[in-house]
Amino acid sequence: MRRNRIAMLFILAAALACGDGSGPGTRYVLTIMAGNAQTDTVGSTLPIPYVVKVADATSATAQAGVTVTWRVTAGGGSVTASSVTDGNGIATATRTLGTVAGTARANAQAGATSITFTATALAGAATQFQKSAGDAQTGSTGLALPVPFAVLVQDQYGNPVESVTVNWAVTAGAGSLSVPSSKTDISGVARTTLTLDAAAGPNAVSATVVGLAGTQTFSATGVTGPVFIKSLAVTENYGLHDQFIRDGLAFLCAWNTGILIYDVGNGMSGGSPANPVLVGQVVTNSNGNTGAEAHNAWWFHNPVTNEKKYLFVGQEGPGSIGSSSSGDIHVVDVSDLAHPTEVAFFHRAGAGTHNFWMDEPHQILYAAYYNAGVMAIDVSGTLSGDISSRLIDSLSFGAGNSYTWSVQLYNGSLYASDMVSGLWQLSTNLGTLGSAGGGGNEAARYSSDLWVANGYAYSGTWDHFQRTGLAGSLLKIWQLNGTGAPVALDSITVANVGAVSDVEVSPDGKLLMFSTESGPNSGFWFYSLADPAHPAFVGKYLEPSGVHTATFSTIGGRLYAFGAKNPSGAAMIILDVTSMDK
Amino acid sequence: MLAVCTGRAGAQGGGVTASWGAQAIPAFTQTNIVPGNRSLGEARVVQPVAMLHAGALGGRLRFVGTLNFEKYTIPNGELAPGDWGESFEDRRHPHTLVHELMLVAPDLLGRLDGPVNLFVAAGKGFVPFGTDDPMSRPVVRYPVNHHWSQILERAVTLVGIRVGPATLEGALFNGDEPVSPGSWPKWDRFGDSWAARLTVIPFTGLETQGSYAFVKSPENRPGAGPNDDKVSVSARWARHPWYGHLEWARNSTASGAFIFHSVLAEGALTLPGHQPYVRFERTERPEEERVFASRFRTRRPLFENSILGITRWTVVTLGDAVDVLRGPIRGSPFVEGSWIGIARVGGGVFDPTVFYGRTHGASITFGIRLAAGMRMHRMGRYQPTPGTMDDMSSMPMP
Repeated sequence: MRRNRIAMLFILAAALACGDGSGPGTRYVLTIMAGNAQTDTVGSTLPIPYVVKVADATSATAQAGVTVTWRVTAGGGSVTASSVTDGNGIATATRTLGTVAGTARANAQAGATSITFTATALAGAATQFQKSAGDAQTGSTGLALPVPFAVLVQDQYGNPVESVTVNWAVTAGAGSLSVPSSKTDISGVARTTLTLDAAAGPNAVSATVVGLAGTQTFSATGVTGPVFIKSLAVTENYGLHDQFIRDGLAFLCAWNTGILIYDVGNGMSGGSPANPVLVGQVVTNSNGNTGAEAHNAWWFHNPVTNEKKYLFVGQEGPGSIGSSSSGDIHVVDVSDLAHPTEVAFFHRAGAGTHNFWMDEPHQILYAAYYNAGVMAIDVSGTLSGDISSRLIDSLSFGAGNSYTWSVQLYNGSLYASDMVSGLWQLSTNLGTLGSAGGGGNEAARYSSDLWVANGYAYSGTWDHFQRTGLAGSLLKIWQLNGTGAPVALDSITVANVGAVSDVEVSPDGKLLMFSTESGPNSGFWFYSLADPAHPAFVGKYLEPSGVHTATFSTIGGRLYAFGAKNPSGAAMIILDVTSMDK
Repeated sequence: MLAVCTGRAGAQGGGVTASWGAQAIPAFTQTNIVPGNRSLGEARVVQPVAMLHAGALGGRLRFVGTLNFEKYTIPNGELAPGDWGESFEDRRHPHTLVHELMLVAPDLLGRLDGPVNLFVAAGKGFVPFGTDDPMSRPVVRYPVNHHWSQILERAVTLVGIRVGPATLEGALFNGDEPVSPGSWPKWDRFGDSWAARLTVIPFTGLETQGSYAFVKSPENRPGAGPNDDKVSVSARWARHPWYGHLEWARNSTASGAFIFHSVLAEGALTLPGHQPYVRFERTERPEEERVFASRFRTRRPLFENSILGITRWTVVTLGDAVDVLRGPIRGSPFVEGSWIGIARVGGGVFDPTVFYGRTHGASITFGIRLAAGMRMHRMGRYQPTPGTMDDMSSMPMP
């Protein structure tokens, strides 16, 4: 009797567990019979219901009376909550898509088994559009804006709508458009690029969409001078001293913060002048000084080995201008730009380095070395450890102390700007140095940087009332005579500054730039070299904190000026100066 | 300032003692050592201070507070050829409004340490290094060596121990010097610098000290600048009616890249009705590039470690002060004149002949010290030193 009662309990329990045969632990085979992989617009009910067949997992026979539970798993919308299989093991459900375009998924579950139906929800008809990029730019007159105008076309739910035609029209200014109409892409965006009116002033462009009401208006301002693009803040460890730009990479010399490498158009990290992206950084060794004191750099592209392995970094340690200096040349391996590593250094007892120039084909680094004049260093091959023995030659010049700011190789001569004795022409025979001409040609002020181009040299001066009590600073113009010696030709006086601190000519030789600091006229100054003997002012960008150094670089077909803004608020300033380079 | 001076000093009550004092010096200075080869005269109110000293717990705890109002009276500094620091050149910079704000436990262990006296102090104030602040000395004109011989207006914690005639102090502080009259120490730099001072009093009236300080990046507030190693040795005599002071200091910047020396001797005699005084100083200072806005200012914040050269300033000052006012407000008219010589030391492009148009010159200053309440305390020391006169009663200061 007791045995019979137990048997009855087991039978009852089994019946309760199985119910309609679709208990949670029951395993079936589910097969999609219809409705999968349909495409329709968002918010619509799919024309073909979802159909699933439920069969026994062991016998594969259709199971009737099994409850199938339906559930939306992606894309929103709705689906029939549950349905029961008929005599053929078939259950059906109705699927209504959500309002977000894309893939929609729903699960059918019987017992412990489930299967997924997918559908594609397409955007609906365009009902609205708005500006998405490019509005309110300032650009150079007569040149294309750096960022295209763009509109985003959407359906009633905000989904981007593809292949909608947007018509563009210039409504102010006499600019021109890259395309008068364009279709939206997969992101729902259509674009056109405005080339600004040749005259300075406001420009405007309208965008309309066929079948939709309303107009979106883009504005832009054309200016004739430099166009501000970006101010990239730098830690105030004395701020930023110099920047070397090459191949769309900017090497920022940020004193004790070391070297910061930014993608400003190289493409390796998606950076641009408007959006620099940090790639890597390294703090070079102090070599007994206060810190890295990273002052200037040169990224060596070796045409002999085709390597771009080494970055030379100048360290500017303490010094007494005119008599003493300190700081080494540090060699950084930048093979892996994300993880640069210092591998070598050059030390000169009793002196410190300043600006560089490289004879890359001959693998010779020329370094201005303040009170030690100029150094020529063999940088061929692998550089490791102390490379002081690679010194080819050094040269001090002038009747008094040398205190050399900068050097440049031009037409076989090495030009050196010496703070106390002016502009020199040096001879060099694969690094063996000699004095060839010039010198003793600036006594009223102290000389600063130089640049040589087009058969002329341009040099700066610094000194606010220090040497002879004269105000302002000069940009001096020198003509190179038949032997290459500099002959003073003209000068431009910049009032109300303490220094013309850096000088450079654009790669095409058409635009002269110099930076100024220590006074209300501090900033960037630009002169046309249409007549290289008499540069003509074309623009300036003032920065009250002062700009310590500045350099050109061509990125994406546009000419940019990069400058080191002094603390407080140390930063690298980036200007688009394309319009002036003509 | 005068309104403050009409108060009464020495208030006390309820176990807490308090005393206060105030000082201001309206003065006129004329000199021909001026950038651009010219003469310049200026009238200013200098050294305007208000002091509050309080004690509690039977003297076991003391408060030392000093406000300096130069932020308002000399925002562009005081004309003083040779003086320099905190971006001022040939003008003494204004001190910070909160000059001292110190809590002192002058006898930390009471009788527990027997003949040994352990003391501690913390707050914003003077680092135990070098000599007394020039404001608490007889000559009104600040010496050129102010930045070599004192370290002040820092967040400082010091511990000292006195055994017999010797006192040894050690302190941690922030290396950054003030960047404006309203600036506070950069708190996250507290402890990046340290100092130690040994003071010995061989007999009553004579105090000698030797001190050393390591100061991290004093002139670059973020801490990126070169460090200073400072040494000071001095002897001070203070026994009525005589006061004498002799000191030597050496400052090494950037591990010896720049080394500056200073020698200074001064003395005063208190006579009935007046107090003549004299100072001789020979101090080296760095020359930095002046900014366009003012040839009395240099570029701040610093972003290079180069200087234009070093100059040695020889300054001989003679003066006399007369007591004319006694009572709640004390007054002491004074006149002092300085002969000034400037010489280049080593290389560098700075040439005083070009910059000043001369290498020798003079300055004259006259005015009146006004004071009320307690006398000026010895700024730079927070532990009364037995055997010396710890206020200025031996000096020609009202």
